[in-house]
Amino acid sequence: MKKTFFQKYGILIIFLLLCLVLSFLSPVFLSIPNLINVVRQISINGILAIGMTLVILTGGIDLSVGSQVALTGAIVAGLQAHGQGAFLAVIVGLLLGAFLGCINGLIITKGGLPPFIVTLGMLTAARGLTLIYTGGRPIYDLSKAFNFIGAGYLGSIPIPVIILTLVLLVSHFVLKYTIFGREVYAVGGNPEASVYSGINKEKRLVQVYTIMGFLSGLTGIVLTSRLGSADPTAGVGFELDAITAVVIGGTSMFGGEGAVTGTLIGALIIGVINNGLNLLNVSSYYQQVVKGVIVVGAVLMDNYARKKQQKISE
Amino acid sequence: MKTMRGKNLKIFVGCLLVVVLGIGSIIYIPAIKAKRKPVIAMAFCTLNIPFFVEMENGVREEAKKADVKLIVTNAEDSAAKQMAQVEDLLIQKPDVLLLAPVDSDVLVPAVEAAHKANIPVISIDRSVNSDKLITFIGVDDVEGGRTAARYVIERLNGKGNVIMLEGVIGSSAQRDRAQGFEEVIAKNPKIKMLTKQTANFNRTEGMNVVENLLQAYPKIDAIFAQNDEMALGAIRAIKAAGREDEIIVVGFDADPEAKDAVRNGNMAATIEGSPYKLGITGVKSAMQYLEGKKLPEKILLPLDLVTKESLAK
Amino acid sequence: MASDYLLEMEGVSKRFSGVKALNNVEFRVKSGEVHALIGENGAGKSTLIKILSGIHKMDTGTICFNGSKVIIQSPRHAQQLGIATVHQELNLFPALSVSENIFIGRLPRKKSGIVDWHLLKKETEKLFNKLGIEIDPTTTVESLGVAEKQLVEIARALSQGAKLVIMDEPTSSLSQGEAERLFKIITALKANGITFIYVTHKLEELFQIADRITVFRDGCYIKTKEIADCSYQELVELMVGRELTSLFPKVQVELGEPVFKVNNLSRNKEIENVSFSIRRGEILGISGLVGAGRTELARCLFGVTLPTNGEIYMNEKQLTIKKPLDAIKQGICLVPEDRKNQGLVLKMSVQKNISLSILSMFRKTFGFIDGHKESATVQDAVAQLKIKTPSVEQLVGNLSGGNQQKVVFAKEFLADPQLLILDEPTRGVDVGAKAEIHRLIGNFVKKGGSVLMISSELPEIMGMSDRILVMSKGKIVKEFQRSEATQEKILEYAL
Repeated sequence: MKKTFFQKYGILIIFLLLCLVLSFLSPVFLSIPNLINVVRQISINGILAIGMTLVILTGGIDLSVGSQVALTGAIVAGLQAHGQGAFLAVIVGLLLGAFLGCINGLIITKGGLPPFIVTLGMLTAARGLTLIYTGGRPIYDLSKAFNFIGAGYLGSIPIPVIILTLVLLVSHFVLKYTIFGREVYAVGGNPEASVYSGINKEKRLVQVYTIMGFLSGLTGIVLTSRLGSADPTAGVGFELDAITAVVIGGTSMFGGEGAVTGTLIGALIIGVINNGLNLLNVSSYYQQVVKGVIVVGAVLMDNYARKKQQKISE
Repeated sequence: MKTMRGKNLKIFVGCLLVVVLGIGSIIYIPAIKAKRKPVIAMAFCTLNIPFFVEMENGVREEAKKADVKLIVTNAEDSAAKQMAQVEDLLIQKPDVLLLAPVDSDVLVPAVEAAHKANIPVISIDRSVNSDKLITFIGVDDVEGGRTAARYVIERLNGKGNVIMLEGVIGSSAQRDRAQGFEEVIAKNPKIKMLTKQTANFNRTEGMNVVENLLQAYPKIDAIFAQNDEMALGAIRAIKAAGREDEIIVVGFDADPEAKDAVRNGNMAATIEGSPYKLGITGVKSAMQYLEGKKLPEKILLPLDLVTKESLAK
Repeated sequence: MASDYLLEMEGVSKRFSGVKALNNVEFRVKSGEVHALIGENGAGKSTLIKILSGIHKMDTGTICFNGSKVIIQSPRHAQQLGIATVHQELNLFPALSVSENIFIGRLPRKKSGIVDWHLLKKETEKLFNKLGIEIDPTTTVESLGVAEKQLVEIARALSQGAKLVIMDEPTSSLSQGEAERLFKIITALKANGITFIYVTHKLEELFQIADRITVFRDGCYIKTKEIADCSYQELVELMVGRELTSLFPKVQVELGEPVFKVNNLSRNKEIENVSFSIRRGEILGISGLVGAGRTELARCLFGVTLPTNGEIYMNEKQLTIKKPLDAIKQGICLVPEDRKNQGLVLKMSVQKNISLSILSMFRKTFGFIDGHKESATVQDAVAQLKIKTPSVEQLVGNLSGGNQQKVVFAKEFLADPQLLILDEPTRGVDVGAKAEIHRLIGNFVKKGGSVLMISSELPEIMGMSDRILVMSKGKIVKEFQRSEATQEKILEYAL
């Protein structure tokens, strides 16, 4: 059975259609500065969503990413405020993120609890730790070197976009061409059969949540650097944006099906919608409605195409 | 294997119990000892943003001075949570309840319940739509919006393009600040409001929205943000686009970081809502009430414009 | 005068996106008979059943039911007409009681609107008495065995006034004893005038239960016959369309030294003090009822669960098996009983499934997979096992049951085991594929492998095994040599 063009590239087509419509409605939409603008804005959600894709591929979910972003951001900023160098702060931030994710993974596998519950707990606890550490106030006045990560450019390309691209490429190749990637799909596609096939399911799950934590830490660093300050309320609701991008990108919430390339398009769709609504001066009241309709509509169209394909194969 | 796991679980639960009881007793034993002093309960809508953290500092400072015992709760912006917290506070029978409500309407039953329990309620920052309040202490957000507009008009010499960044749509701060700002702008036909967009009082969103708007509008003269968080995000975006000489940014709330930004010229001005003063006034009013003094129905603190010049003084 | 046919279908065709699933078939069922519908996978049986139960609509053709022409619109319509289907996957609410399940949607109520539990129980008992079913109406469905669940479904259908009951593979997960009970009830209901369409892969059952048979092959109608006029061989040839020499070809293998040994293996109450050994080239069959501890034994040997007691030896060396990976590394592989849940990742391709256990063989630097080597190995296995698939990229879920099972075998063979544990190796597999799987097992032992085979199908066990162990209540109760085993003797110890 062959997939038709639309079934394979459905979400990409929807994205291009959206861009086409916006370019007619707003003359600046397709300008280079605006496009750079959009990709820079989606880099934050994009990095998280790629990690979330891995988690959802295993049939799990991580609700704690937003809080992990805030906590790592706060610690990274705090270390610098206490006179530590930017380099050390970044390393500590990445390790802290990985550590938080690892804790999620260990409780899920060793404690046998559902990821939803465990990461919900981490969501609250990490947010609380952030507030304790910052005393509820933003930490600002960070070094120039550090600010370069979020605000700098390589040529004319913003650094966050380069980071996102690297994360995307690495995760794409890892998922597609390595034993680890193959086993992640298997664990999500059928946990029981993967154990029967001799896969160390628990180890893989801990690894996936650790990677998610590492990417949350990375996001925390990029976000803090981009804003020039660590805000204790940063990252609230990030988990939902990330999950939305994953779902729009065609990854199954049941696990075992999907790809990071789809997730990137999902993140782009969200970014383009936000950007377009701002450019078109749509009233704030209507923006939320439009966003909701486009998100559900995109997934609906994609789903329809797949269902049709499934019927044929039956 | 199974039994091992069960045993581990038992040990784990046991440890958890010990920890919880331990923390519980640490918190409550001093509470039992320290009776007799007047008790003031302060129910915050949130302590996760600088504005209310400043207010809490004011409350604590004044409570220390007045030698009263203080109980503080944080509802994390959830009305339902705040309802439950107020109910818990009432059981502890404070002499006065200070309430910074999450919502003016939803918290009405909480005030009624306190009234029934003979505990006086003073609301701070946001009012509650109930006649059972002793008094309401707040700032005049509408007037604050007007002040910001007047300042913008003055800086632009009465002519130019303006953008407003709005807070969470439907919140009272968003409504009142927008009302005051738009009212004054409307009287000046040469000032054009290009657009108003929400960034939900959030810095990241403020930055993203302004980045987008900078693409859409080649000529912007001023941005008014309904709080400092959004204003700071806006400044970040403007700087990145290299248009800081062209656009002035006015914030609201006078957070410490915003004041720094005003001092070094990145932000043109902010409006001093002075949460610290609100906190101090709250405890002071409570003490006056306990001494038997009559309080006015509404205490509105003045809102000051904070500029580089006013800070230099 | 109305005909004595309850159901007459004529000229029925159905296409799925260009593929003819049914091609101008006819099918006639007499009132009060048990009519078996047989054919290999893909013959069109399921499609016909789905048309009758209102899930699919036919493209052309006529259906005459109970004397009038009908077009079945929906599952609900089928139910109203009096056609009920008992599927392989049962449609019950596990947490509710038996009586609630039977009367769901039309529970008797008191005036106040509250369910009248007393009346509900009485009604259910009345129904069960009439049907000769002995199940307590108040037990929850999840605590019942598969056979009893099926009876509950049949009872529900009959209480709704069903005249025609379609049974889709009812005995596929039943042990011999349970199947016997089901047959008794079907026979009793038949005497009460209920008509059955009976779909099965187990041809030997038909001689016991069916009155007439209809054979489909490749979407076409082949023949309808009285079962009394058929031989087993003839049925198989009608289905397969060619002659089969033997169904259970026992390959003669010279047995070697004992390779695998189990000493006093126990796990809770599931298995107790099980000891046996298997020789090189030997097929050791394990028979017993469902719940006798056979699958539990297999899972324990493979490291899915851990034994509480006992030792396992391979080539005189004691093994520690804590997880399936350990078992695979030490040369033990398992073809699990539940292919869809334990054997395969249905969402993955044939290639990815086959290579799943042996990915480490294709490891390159940084954990990358050597794609060329992988696809060459898989292609080779697909060709050797004659797996019918358009390409190795095909999703395994789209293959027929027999080919899916061959994919599981390919996966296990590639891991190069010394001992292959087979748990119901041919369940839900059609006759043609079954013979091929038996051939594969034969080849495996010929090359010096050893096999532990669990099966509920007595002919399979007796045809394939060198020795047979009978399990009951977690213990091995009897050992038979190939020559001394008969169905009766095995059943006697199993019960």
